[in-house]
Amino acid sequence: MKPTARFKKRYVSFALSVDSAPPPAGEARSIVHEHFLSFFGESGVSSLAFKLIKYDEKSGRGMVRCERSRADETIFCMACLSEWKGKKARMESLSTSGTIRRV
Amino acid sequence: MLDLVLAGNLPKLDGIDALVPASALPNFRQTKAPSSKGDARVKGALLYSPSYEFDDGAYLELARGGGALVFSFSDVLGEKGFRRAIVISKMRLALAACRKSGCGFVFCTLAKNEAGLRNARELVAFMAVLGMTQEEKKHSKELLEKLVK
Repeated sequence: MKPTARFKKRYVSFALSVDSAPPPAGEARSIVHEHFLSFFGESGVSSLAFKLIKYDEKSGRGMVRCERSRADETIFCMACLSEWKGKKARMESLSTSGTIRRV
Repeated sequence: MLDLVLAGNLPKLDGIDALVPASALPNFRQTKAPSSKGDARVKGALLYSPSYEFDDGAYLELARGGGALVFSFSDVLGEKGFRRAIVISKMRLALAACRKSGCGFVFCTLAKNEAGLRNARELVAFMAVLGMTQEEKKHSKELLEKLVK
């Protein structure tokens, strides 16, 4: 596939916390995946080019990839997380970039 | 960027210059009635209704008085699933009515506690999701600063 035909990507970094503490990697992965799936639906996630790129369980910081034109929707989706299994949860977007290195 | 809140002593997040308690504003009006022309007539009113259902007359009165409709992020946070989708849909309709009537619109969190606060980047994304253009976003931020002073 030509580079021009591929998805135009944006990388959004975030800070995740559940009850004011960073969750372990496995739990964080399921929080992010289930929340995005609930917000966008299966069709929405497929066109979003969504991927959880990395997550550090010590700091609670991570990064997701999305389609360039839908970066605002991705940030809004993150901001809409307020609860996870009865606990207070927060996914705060920190920065956006076109490359992983510069996030 | 300013943010209206419903409680005092909350911490400021990234990109937010000041948190203004809505109770301290004489022009802030919260209403449940769709035909709240009386509230809309106040000069420079910041009109807020959690239902986002107003008569066309209320929008016109608001436009005449140089006021603005308040869109609150806490209304989105307070709902889940299908109910949340309905709230966002109502907000989009209210935004279209604001454009049609020429009245202003402002965005804030109206947070009651720290968990309800959102940073400037997230508020701007909220505006974009509702369909605002760059120009409208800029105007909305400036209008809030003008009406709060």
